Amino acid sequence: MTELSTMEFHPQPQAGEAKPWAFPAPERGALPNGLTVLRCHRPGQQVVAVEVFLAAPLDAEPEGLDGVATIMARAFSEGTDKMSAEEFAAELERCGATLDAHADHPGVRISLEVPVSRLPKALGLIADALRAPAFAESEISRLVRNRLDEIPHELANPARRAAKELYKELFPATARMSRPRQGTEATVSAIDAAAVRAFYERWVRPSTATAVVVGDLAGTDLDALLAETLGQWTAAPGEARAAAPITADDTGRVVIVDRPGAVQTQLLIGRVGADRHDRVWPAQVLGTYCLGGTLTSRLDRVLREEKGYTYGVRAFGQVLRSAADGTGASLLAINGSVDTPNTGPALDDLWKVLRTLAAEGLTDAERETAVQNLVGVAPLRYETAAAVAGTLADQVEQHLPDDFQAQLYRMLAETGTVEATAAVVSAFPVDRLVTVLVGDAAEIAEPVKALGIGEVTVVTG
Amino acid sequence: MPMGHTATAEAGSGGLTATEHRLANGLRVVLSEDHLTPVAAVCLWYDVGSRHEVKGRTGLAHLFEHLMFQGSGQVKGNGHFELVQGAGGSLNGTTSFERTNYFETMPAHQLELALWLEADRMGSLLLALDDESMENQRDVVKNERRQRYDNVPYGTAFEKLTALSYPEGHPYHHTPIGSMADLDAATLEDARNFFRTYYAPNNAVLSVVGDIDPEQTLAWIEKYFGSIPSHDGKQPPRDGALPEIIGEQKREVVEEEVPARALMAAYRLPHDGTRECDAADLALTVLGGGESSRLYNRLVRRDQTAVAAGFGLLRLAGAPSLGWLDVKTSGDVEVPVIEAAVDEELARFAAEGPTAEEMERAQAQLEREWLDRLGTVAGRADELCRYAVLFGDPQLALTAVDRVLSVTAEEVQAVAKARLRPDNRAVLVYEPTHAEVQDEDEEAGQ
Repeated sequence: MTELSTMEFHPQPQAGEAKPWAFPAPERGALPNGLTVLRCHRPGQQVVAVEVFLAAPLDAEPEGLDGVATIMARAFSEGTDKMSAEEFAAELERCGATLDAHADHPGVRISLEVPVSRLPKALGLIADALRAPAFAESEISRLVRNRLDEIPHELANPARRAAKELYKELFPATARMSRPRQGTEATVSAIDAAAVRAFYERWVRPSTATAVVVGDLAGTDLDALLAETLGQWTAAPGEARAAAPITADDTGRVVIVDRPGAVQTQLLIGRVGADRHDRVWPAQVLGTYCLGGTLTSRLDRVLREEKGYTYGVRAFGQVLRSAADGTGASLLAINGSVDTPNTGPALDDLWKVLRTLAAEGLTDAERETAVQNLVGVAPLRYETAAAVAGTLADQVEQHLPDDFQAQLYRMLAETGTVEATAAVVSAFPVDRLVTVLVGDAAEIAEPVKALGIGEVTVVTG
Repeated sequence: MPMGHTATAEAGSGGLTATEHRLANGLRVVLSEDHLTPVAAVCLWYDVGSRHEVKGRTGLAHLFEHLMFQGSGQVKGNGHFELVQGAGGSLNGTTSFERTNYFETMPAHQLELALWLEADRMGSLLLALDDESMENQRDVVKNERRQRYDNVPYGTAFEKLTALSYPEGHPYHHTPIGSMADLDAATLEDARNFFRTYYAPNNAVLSVVGDIDPEQTLAWIEKYFGSIPSHDGKQPPRDGALPEIIGEQKREVVEEEVPARALMAAYRLPHDGTRECDAADLALTVLGGGESSRLYNRLVRRDQTAVAAGFGLLRLAGAPSLGWLDVKTSGDVEVPVIEAAVDEELARFAAEGPTAEEMERAQAQLEREWLDRLGTVAGRADELCRYAVLFGDPQLALTAVDRVLSVTAEEVQAVAKARLRPDNRAVLVYEPTHAEVQDEDEEAGQ
């Protein structure tokens, strides 16, 4: 066989003419019971996505009952005034539906996906769950035990263990954000059906909830359907919760969670920064992508594609809570895992990448590629109803206008290299990063101390 | 020149159609138009996977897949990634037992670029492949193995159960990630030979799905791929045939630092592409799919002996499929308690068969899974390639859901009775080496 190819080469083709695409604009309305409804018709999307946001934030959980929002969210699918837990699960699956419910800092999210032909039935089930959840003692105690069983599995996972430690380091112990979203063994054990119902009665009501419905709705009389289902949900009006301001300590330091014998070190390096209400957000998104958005970003170009230390390291910004008054925040972080012997060299290179970025800035070519990708992938990213519904519901829970994503694409395209550089450099200052390493302390502690990236402490568990 | 024919929409295909073509060099092409969104998916399946690997070179197919992103004749360095992402596209590749796939999803006006890139590496990878990328990607893949398998609890369960399920020397005895020793042993010459043997137009299927002009697309495919020479260096894969029933219970107990006891098992099931495999899929869904399944209701809801319990199906065409049981115990519950309950439920199911309601639920679940898979251009492109490569007919992808819906309760019972028995499984039991008292969780998403 010859090494030389015999194929005929052609020059790289040029792009054709781009077809217009815009992030879908939802229609906003409200039901008589106060429920806000966003709807969006997406032709051809036979699997409809429904997102319900409940303004029941984690910091509303009573003292000592961290996790009650999570148990409540899970208990929505464990029976109603008409059905037992087993019957409810069976009916939902008979619709070919999937249902996911989870509690996070801004509130509780319920995500339903169902073929459009069975939307009426599935929406009826969700409405019953919200209107008249059973919260039976037997089911709640089972969910509590199940949750307690999950905790050791999560702690054994290096990425999740790292996250737990980072939140604990960043936020004051009194802040809800410093503690695990789904509670600890001590707090979950204290949850019972009465606590779940009390939380539900205080924080869950149609007037502070929003439903987002996305999919091919051409053959569906959505108004009539909503009136029969979510429209039947009533509750007395309630208070709005004022969010506590977020403070964080990002003094540069290193915490090693000891895992003797670990073949890799899990890295999570982060701090708290601007959220999506801040004008810097588009530039921060762009700059963060250039730093660590993909395999050809600065971090992986060195750590993966030059050195082979990792399968991949990413930089990202994740909104923790967002508000129009500027009290929101996002977690700005770098994560990934590197092999144990190369932990010191990998961190050394990572810091070099950050220092070089601060000293020399991004290039116009980098900025151009990042914009092309971030803006260009939009039609791919939002092909499914679930993706559109998820982003619309994110905007709701973050108090953003319905056209935020559409405007974000416009602003990304208008953001220059200098702005993107300034944003990412101030997002990831080399001396204000908290580094959590889950790995073999005996192997990695000394090389990490030698880097001078902050005081190193070792914890176990 | 390619010869095409236009298929009319078959009943049950949801209005989707696909046309098939073949270039003179043997490259099979499948096109499917869909103008709902201005995107186009390109998917290329090479008929090579870990089952083609030889002793001492496990992991080579997957390592090679990484090398396909390290530049080719006209593409420098990481150009495959840079050019696609810079055009607003997304891309990746994956390796399984039976095939290696490469895919790009592009804004529709950038489709030609993706075709040019795939053709460039199919025809001229060896012009760019060098020691430097080999050494680098060897390290990357070893770190992938550590991250996904070696450094997570139960991470090597799949590898262990596969090795128990298929005998030593069987092409499916080892998994695509390969062993560290074999990854270390692979040479640049191995990689070159692998390319020369398996990467040829006549060993691949290309599908393009989405907002495309089929005539123009075919012309581009002819232009870029048409001159790549075919070759017949490939040996047929080793025979994966095995008896329908293992005939004994294989068993391994793993003592490791894991958070809880676990019972995992793999049942030997009919080959993908058969009606019996669809029936098995339904049986496993009734027994262990979702939160209304028999095992979930028994172990998690009623007995409360498990934190999670479920069944999955690994569909395989060149060897028996595997029905995958995974139960993590609750608290101090011991594995024999779980095992007795599982056996009881399976025996009852074999004796009674599914109820009408259970059939309806299982079929509704599998139908939605199919709608999800065919609902994106990338998913549809992948399924068209799958049916073309493994079963010789891409059109089967568009009617797969109808076949699942036509299976009867009697057929589901029959496959359960024949296959879901203790003498037809490999069992993996995890016993934690020490129980640490830990608490709490958190997750940093992206």
